[in-house]
Amino acid sequence: MFKMKAKLLAGAAVALVLGTASAVADIKVGVLLPESGPAGLFGPSTRNSALLAAEAINAGGGINGEQIELVFADVGVPPAEAAQAALRLWKGQGAQAFVGMHDSAVREALIGRFNGQVPYVYTPVYEGNSCAPGLYVTGETPSQQLAPVIPYLAGKEGVSKWYLIGHDYNWPRDTNALAKGYIAEAGGEVVGEEYVPFTVSEFDSSLQRIRESGADAVLITLVGGGSVGFNVSFAGFGLDDQAIRLGTLIEENTLAGIGAENADRLYSSSGYFASIKTEAAASFAADYAAAFGGDGAALNGLGQSAYEGLMLLAALANKAGSLDVAAMDAAAEGTSWTSPRGANVLTGRHMAQTIYLADGSGGAFEVVAAFDSVASSEACTN
Amino acid sequence: MASVLLPVSLLLAALLLIPELFGDFTAYQIGLYLIYGIAAQGIGFLWGKTGVLPLGQALFFGFAAYVTAITLRAETGLITELALAVAVLVAIAVFACALAALIFRGRNDSGPYFSLITLALVMIAEQIAGTATTLTGGFNGLSGFDSLGKLDPFAGFYYVIVGVTVAVSLLLFVLNRLPVNLIARAVADNEPRLQLLGFPTHIIKGAAFAFSAVIAALAGGLFASHQGIVTPTSMGFGLSAELVILTAVGGRYHVLGPLIGAVLVGWASAELRDSFPYWELLMAVAFILVVLKAPGGIAELLEAGYRRVRATKPGAPSKVIAAPPTKAVDAAGPLRFDDVHLQIGVVRILNGVSFQTPATGIVSIIGPNGAGKTSTLNTITGNLRITGGRITFGRRKIDSRPPYKALHSGIGRKLQVPSVFFSMSVSENLAIAMMANRSRLLDLLRPSTYRWRSRSLSDLLDHPSVPLKEELVEPVDHLPQGHRQFLEYAMTIAAEPQVLLLDEPCAGLSPDETALMTDLVRHYQAETGGLVIVIEHDMSIVEAISDKVLVMHLGQVLAFDTFEQVRRNPEVQAVYAGGTK
Amino acid sequence: MSSVLFLNLAWQISTLALVALGLAIVFGKLRIMNMAHGEFVMIGAYAPVITSSLGLSGWWQLPVCLLSVGLVAFVLERAIIRHLYGRMFDSLLATWGIAILLRETVELIFGRGYQSVSPPIGGTLRLFGADYPAYRIAVIVGIVLGFAALYWWSTRSRVAVRIKAMVGNPELAEAVGIDTARLSAGAFVFGCCTAGLAGLVLAPTIRIEPMMGLDYLIRSFFALVVGGLGSLEGLGIGAGIIAGTQSVLGAVANQTYGYLAVLTLSILFLWVKPDGIRSSSR
Repeated sequence: MFKMKAKLLAGAAVALVLGTASAVADIKVGVLLPESGPAGLFGPSTRNSALLAAEAINAGGGINGEQIELVFADVGVPPAEAAQAALRLWKGQGAQAFVGMHDSAVREALIGRFNGQVPYVYTPVYEGNSCAPGLYVTGETPSQQLAPVIPYLAGKEGVSKWYLIGHDYNWPRDTNALAKGYIAEAGGEVVGEEYVPFTVSEFDSSLQRIRESGADAVLITLVGGGSVGFNVSFAGFGLDDQAIRLGTLIEENTLAGIGAENADRLYSSSGYFASIKTEAAASFAADYAAAFGGDGAALNGLGQSAYEGLMLLAALANKAGSLDVAAMDAAAEGTSWTSPRGANVLTGRHMAQTIYLADGSGGAFEVVAAFDSVASSEACTN
Repeated sequence: MASVLLPVSLLLAALLLIPELFGDFTAYQIGLYLIYGIAAQGIGFLWGKTGVLPLGQALFFGFAAYVTAITLRAETGLITELALAVAVLVAIAVFACALAALIFRGRNDSGPYFSLITLALVMIAEQIAGTATTLTGGFNGLSGFDSLGKLDPFAGFYYVIVGVTVAVSLLLFVLNRLPVNLIARAVADNEPRLQLLGFPTHIIKGAAFAFSAVIAALAGGLFASHQGIVTPTSMGFGLSAELVILTAVGGRYHVLGPLIGAVLVGWASAELRDSFPYWELLMAVAFILVVLKAPGGIAELLEAGYRRVRATKPGAPSKVIAAPPTKAVDAAGPLRFDDVHLQIGVVRILNGVSFQTPATGIVSIIGPNGAGKTSTLNTITGNLRITGGRITFGRRKIDSRPPYKALHSGIGRKLQVPSVFFSMSVSENLAIAMMANRSRLLDLLRPSTYRWRSRSLSDLLDHPSVPLKEELVEPVDHLPQGHRQFLEYAMTIAAEPQVLLLDEPCAGLSPDETALMTDLVRHYQAETGGLVIVIEHDMSIVEAISDKVLVMHLGQVLAFDTFEQVRRNPEVQAVYAGGTK
Repeated sequence: MSSVLFLNLAWQISTLALVALGLAIVFGKLRIMNMAHGEFVMIGAYAPVITSSLGLSGWWQLPVCLLSVGLVAFVLERAIIRHLYGRMFDSLLATWGIAILLRETVELIFGRGYQSVSPPIGGTLRLFGADYPAYRIAVIVGIVLGFAALYWWSTRSRVAVRIKAMVGNPELAEAVGIDTARLSAGAFVFGCCTAGLAGLVLAPTIRIEPMMGLDYLIRSFFALVVGGLGSLEGLGIGAGIIAGTQSVLGAVANQTYGYLAVLTLSILFLWVKPDGIRSSSR
């Protein structure tokens, strides 16, 4: 909590080390992350994960024999300013590839600006179906997070009446559209669906509707502070006795905000949790802890996705032999590599990956199931 | 006009040099800040002059941006796009003017309620923009279109932005030199006084708001072409607040201030953001310092510095020209109160007041404090609405009309505490007064209007004892109380009203000044053959000038007769000598 | 169903009234458009975080809350706010800067992550045939009693009378011997402390992070301008209308309609009755 300064110093130290180590001809890779704005809390973990990835890539020989150097820009700002920041890295500092951990509006702006002239890896959870030359996605899409998980939970918890609640924009709506199909296939029914404006921070009426619907499972596509507030009130009203909760964007920070006593039977479906017990994940977590200290910039799926993005970039660029978009696009399909998340394959420019289901009861995520090689049905077809 | 062309040419030169000196990419970045700066200039005009603070300008900015995006996506061709742009600007102007005029109608302040309404409107707009996905693309916004005329945002389009920036700045500089500037500033300075001079202030504010809205919309249209994407944040509260901050920091009292603010703040935050972790803290502190220490923003600091280096000389007095005649007024005749009641809450201010003045002459109203004298005048000009009875002037009913209509009915009023435009000079005050009930809309756009003088005003100023002629360039707040009385008197008679209401015109005047004022009043009544109603406490003045005296007490008429009769009236004596109520 | 709706209504109205109370004093009486109001709520909500990190027991939350908020408010009043009395739009801008300052400082000290606070009273109570969180019921009762006490105080106490005098005619009040500078400072600090108290009370039920203040700012302003500045009745009426509309429409239709209705209603009230329903005679 009071360790912000320590994090900054540690990050600076690692950067210094990397900087001095890579004095040879560098490939500059632009890392676009949110240091301000609503997603600002993911900035530090994203930066740290990216630094670890660069270290790993450089240790393995870099990209096509050249060491990489990271340059960062804050894109937690409105799309116009975010595009400016990215362009400064591209035109101003000569970045040759980009890894972006930011929201969809910024992504669309950047797709327009990059115009397929530079490789661009998009890393966080998102709604899917974004396709453009030079764009590669590691982020989980709704089909990946839900297709294996909903039938699993239906079986394990015996739930069949789902209530869908999310913020009012495209990601929740697209997620729920798919969810309805999976729920029906698993023999369940949707007993309620609602969308809440970003500006609303109390959920009393929604919770009352959930209670009255008799739902025994709630699919949560709320984001940020709304997710925290909703889950706190949910448990406050004792609804955690009535229904389980499944969220597709509930990571460690959100769970900390929700609090241990309010997280009973709260499940999260994601490509990454800090507490994954596989060897790759555990050693990654250990490296992270050694480089950046204990808590503070806690590991979470969004921050860690920057690591994945850089790994994808390196794997694909090495396979294609260059950072030229045409070459990378041609080589994209079927590129595979392993990472702390598991074994990954680029399918339709999206990352087929292992999906983990974790139970947050007690205030810490414990992985209860893992589904390997889940491909996205919102990938690109070309 | 040299003083307009010089800064505009410098601006144009500076902006054109940027791509030459710093490259196309820097120009691209500056282009975005210029776009925000243009929108902020609109806010600066509205806020700096009329005092109305809009907290929702992104409503117009974002609306224009979305319409531009939708049109450009449809790829209809340049002519159609430009025609549509003009149509949208007109629609926005009409909407904004109507909105502001309706909200401000019947009020004489620009309080926070209007700002909060604009805030609520932009919040509604942002919500709709985020959810009307088929129209606006929802959260991800609209993208995938070329800019206007298919110009490259990284090259040619910069010059379009420069063109608009220079055009808007030129327009604002020109407006600064026209009478509309004075009228707009008068709204912020003393709205009740401006209304009594016959100006419908709610429409003035509406027009100013519409002007700022159109400028914001222009900027929004440029934004869509420049960025190639429009999202709900372009139509949100965050952007609106940001624009206000840019205006405040840059300087809302100067034409180029908001541009300076936008470029400096935009550049600084882009540069500092990645290198300095405490940059937001620094910006906040700088912002607070600007508000506290330099309320005119950076532009005012620069101007103060410039003035210390080069002191400005006062301009040579310009030749006066004859003012056009006042607009025809059809009312004439006696002023008549029929059982007028005015009740506010439980207080009965006027409790059945009935009298009829002669058609011409001087009537004095006297009575103890709280009798309802000033309230009587308030009901005549419409500053208070009566709750019963009627007031007629000649054949026309004049009660319950808004104060700005009073002068058009031929009623001029001088207030109890001298009410003039304190932030302006004497000659500026007189210039506004000369426009009262004489100027048409076009006159407000002609600099020659400043030089209007009517014969009666020239006579008044030339009067040897009236001190105003030597003080023409003095700011009013330097004037002593007595001179302000004369100034307000001069302003009130400038429109030659048929009925002149004077509320304690001799308050705070020395004996010599008092004699002068009574002379002027008598002279005015004799010249115009009109009616003068004077509230006075000094019985010697009342005796000297009155044709009839109206005595009021506890909201009712106690007596209405010649001075001699009134003096002998036992009830009046009782009231003044302390008899029982 | 209706009993839960009624209890939700009571919760929303009473908590909005508590949150807006500070702004009612600072904006309503002192005419400072305090855009940092939400940040004082935020600082109050961090008090339990401070006490738990210092290892203190829960009883220390209240004094720590009042102390931290009061100290910050006092320093800001002496340094910045006291130059802004009577300059309404300038106070809007300056407090906007203060809001950013406070957010950034809290972020630097505590980080950007979410904090979590447990309610002192857990579980639900059976009331009017519905299961309702016990903590919420306790808070509703506390707020109602608190307002009753405040109302009683404002009609009896001499300080309240002096404040009315100061607000009505500052020069005359000074001439009569009322120390307006001290009274204003005291009122400002008191107003901010009530905001902090609201934050502390709400902390177990909401998200806690440096950006949380903005939610409370807008609703407080709208509650005040609709109900009327400068009186407790106005505050109550305004909170009732704003929170009530959102709550009822949210329950009957959906949250989006509730939100839009609140904004539309605020616009209508601001237009037709810009001084609010129950403005104090000023």
